[in-house]
Amino acid sequence: MTAALAATRLRRWGPALLAGVALLLAGAALLRTAWAGEPAEVLGSGLRRLTEAQYRATVADVFGPDIEVTGRFAPDLRSEGLLAVGASRVSVTPSGMEQYEDIARNVARQVVDPAHRDKLLGCAPGGRDPQGLQCAKGFIARIGLRLYRRPLMAREVDALAASTIASAQQLGDFHAGAAATLAGMLASPEFLFRIDAPAPGRGEIDSYSKASRISFLLWNATPDDELLAAAGRGELDRPEGLARQVDRLMASPRYRAGVRAFFTDMLQLDELDELSKDAVIYPAFAGSTAEAAREQTLRTITDLLVDRGGDYRDLFTTRRIAMNGALGPLYDIPVERQGWRFHEFPSGDPRSGLLTQVSFLALHAHPGRTSPTLRGKAIREVFLCEKVPSPPANVNFAVVQDVNNPTLRTTRERLHAHLDDEECASCHRKTDPLGLGLEQFDGAGQFRTTEREEPIDVTGELDGRAFDGAAELGRRLHDDAKVSACLVKTAWRYANGREARADDLLDLDRLDEAFAAAGYRFSALMRALALDPNSYRAPAEVHPLRGRS
Amino acid sequence: MAPLHAPKRTSPRGRCDRGGRAITRVGVIAVVGACALFSGAADAPTGGDPTVRTFVLSTLYFANPEEAGACKVYADGGLEAFYKMLPPAEQAKYATPDRRPALEAAMAAHFGFRRLSLQRGDFGGRALQAKLPPWFSPETPRTPEAAREIGALNGFPKGRGSFAYQNQTVAYSACTNPEDFPALAKGFKTYDGARAAGLDLDGKVARDDFVAPDGRRGVDNQLWRAIGCIKIFDEQGDAKVAAKTLISARAPTVIEIRGVTDPRNDPEVAVDIYAAADPVLRDARGGALARASFAIDPNPRLHAATRGKIVDGVLTTEPVDLLLNFREQIVDAPREIRGARLRAVLKPDGSIEGTLGGYYTLRSFYSSVEQMTQNGANLSGVNCPGVRRAIDRLADGYPDPRTGRYTAISSSLSFFGVPAFIIGEAGGRLAEPRS
Repeated sequence: MTAALAATRLRRWGPALLAGVALLLAGAALLRTAWAGEPAEVLGSGLRRLTEAQYRATVADVFGPDIEVTGRFAPDLRSEGLLAVGASRVSVTPSGMEQYEDIARNVARQVVDPAHRDKLLGCAPGGRDPQGLQCAKGFIARIGLRLYRRPLMAREVDALAASTIASAQQLGDFHAGAAATLAGMLASPEFLFRIDAPAPGRGEIDSYSKASRISFLLWNATPDDELLAAAGRGELDRPEGLARQVDRLMASPRYRAGVRAFFTDMLQLDELDELSKDAVIYPAFAGSTAEAAREQTLRTITDLLVDRGGDYRDLFTTRRIAMNGALGPLYDIPVERQGWRFHEFPSGDPRSGLLTQVSFLALHAHPGRTSPTLRGKAIREVFLCEKVPSPPANVNFAVVQDVNNPTLRTTRERLHAHLDDEECASCHRKTDPLGLGLEQFDGAGQFRTTEREEPIDVTGELDGRAFDGAAELGRRLHDDAKVSACLVKTAWRYANGREARADDLLDLDRLDEAFAAAGYRFSALMRALALDPNSYRAPAEVHPLRGRS
Repeated sequence: MAPLHAPKRTSPRGRCDRGGRAITRVGVIAVVGACALFSGAADAPTGGDPTVRTFVLSTLYFANPEEAGACKVYADGGLEAFYKMLPPAEQAKYATPDRRPALEAAMAAHFGFRRLSLQRGDFGGRALQAKLPPWFSPETPRTPEAAREIGALNGFPKGRGSFAYQNQTVAYSACTNPEDFPALAKGFKTYDGARAAGLDLDGKVARDDFVAPDGRRGVDNQLWRAIGCIKIFDEQGDAKVAAKTLISARAPTVIEIRGVTDPRNDPEVAVDIYAAADPVLRDARGGALARASFAIDPNPRLHAATRGKIVDGVLTTEPVDLLLNFREQIVDAPREIRGARLRAVLKPDGSIEGTLGGYYTLRSFYSSVEQMTQNGANLSGVNCPGVRRAIDRLADGYPDPRTGRYTAISSSLSFFGVPAFIIGEAGGRLAEPRS
């Protein structure tokens, strides 16, 4: 979207927003990169669009949970396996801008409505402030700090307050003017994009940018007042001050939300929103199953890694799993119908570890059948950080898809026949031996021992190490150094919003060693990432809104 | 067989075969030794305890033996019977379908049917508010004595009236008091075919016994003789229809078979029959959700325990007295079946299909009839006095030691079920069986 078009749209909201438009125009270079669809990574990790979850969490934090965020968001972009990396590359299309405008107007309308204005605005025109100019300034400065994640400059406050009054006069209603200004702020790139502003002369990003970094990393939410205050005092520029805030955030119950957000991204659990299964083939996979499966995985992870301070690698072998009544039928176990509880499968049970959870098994499968290839590809890419190429466009899947083939009765047999094509075989040899180890779980994640009355062979090998079944595959992954190294790399990319470059490799090695030394405790890794000075190096380029590094 | 010790449930956990034998549950646990599964403090394994097979019944129905032509003409419903009682001139007034409501009104006026709401205000536009005694409240137990006292207060014939329509009304009709309307029972048609679903309950092959659809002889099922030519029972008895229908899903029956070492052949298993406290859930296809978990109704009268055996995948059990929940639409009339026994096929897909034969006590069967509204009976084509008279005549079990009159009638309920789990809480929530 061009700045001119943005101005045209914003003009509809009234003169108050024109000041905001002027602010946008001042950042023309930024707009060209972030809003015109060009990759923003020219600025390093300096610019990341809020994900839908972050937008919602921010509105809830700033205005309260009773302010509803309604409307469709422009889709988040997964890049190199992570939405967090995609957020650095994503743009705002014209239709996406319209969606943000709609959402912003809805939020602003609620904030100033009679039910909320006293609490959220806290003032009104009258007495010595007949027009409400001082009220507007106070509101804008206070809200701006939370929305832009930095204090507004005096000239920004003045301009937005003046626009508020102008809008109020034109609309004949102070609160309508305030809503117009707030809507403009909520649709502003300063809000929609997390911006790493360089600290002049220090070669690193400024305190407020650090506050955003650690808050979104550890809470997946906008910085709270205490963190912003610490940034204002410069505490985040000193190692002990930064550590104090990082430890505070990690001790908070909200840290769980940060861990959930990371694993949602890493495991691509957001894609469960779109997952559907063939009801005839998998009648137990009901409408609420996918959501429950995601919640199950996230609860299992936070229980092990946060509540019990466990070893990340144990996720591949743990027999303890969160369970609710909706999932009991798929897992074929007795479960109380109401609420969540933890279930521990006995030793020797086919269910053990993340790979045997419905979220993984169902997500990486077709609507009506399994896919050892998709499952193997996910293991390679998500847990081993290996890249598996997409199949060529002209590939013939006829044999693989023929589930009623009279001679090739099992998926293993059909995939084996598919390997006759050498072009296909090169990739399938990497993926299929892993995925076939999970074949005792059907496309909905239900355990089975036969396929079309044939016993299922679940032997395979992971890079030369043989296994028999999902539990052994989980143990192979547990013991594979590449798995823990991959987590470090993924978490680093998540924290920094970009791919690692050559000059980051030493940093990654150091983090990897520290992770091992800490007993592969996930929280130790998150803390190390939050404290990593290399993460706060300033992008070398000129920042259009904030100045030069 | 595996040990049949009582299912002391302290949590939803599996139970171990202390003999340490590897036990296989068809289609689920093929390779994992059962005892290994129960070591340590773990919860139930995938598939649950492999020595236990539990099913929730999605449908319990009176099966139609599908004997073509056995009922060429259906029995008249109550309304049809009343119509035939009218002189031709009167019949002409009600000859067309649009006159059916008027015919019902005429029937009610003729016989003095009454139906009064126990709630304040208008009840469904059809029933007037009953005059209520001062002791009556919504929590008052719905006993026959209470119904009769309220009936007397509202001008019902002496000693008449029953609670009906989920106990929200008190009524006097051909269904609450069928013995008062013998004229309607005249000419009621019973089933005279040779085949019927069911079991040989008395070990004899008598003249009035049936032949089962699979050829077994000596089938005792006089209840089907009484109701087999009522159109609605004939239609709902179609196995293909029943298999796709959830009946009594609000208060389903659960069958648990314990001590199963081989689901194809086991000379002795323990069988418990429970009422579930949770409803049957539907799966994405609309059928009964398999492998769901059910809490058990703590009422001990709704739990029965017996023993049985499995031969070639067919479970048969020894007789036991049962009380089964029966809550369907407006009816809440537990079925009391004496000397009940099961004959059920444990199917390779994990489901169960079979027959529950036994002597349905007249008292509990009549309760289900009394709870129908007259309007409901008319719509269903059920002639309550005809059914009552036929059952009184055909009853064949459990004679009253004092009067010698039979108190129950041989019967057969067919069922479909899907795998399920029973969950319980600490403290022995499960009631002890009553026998």
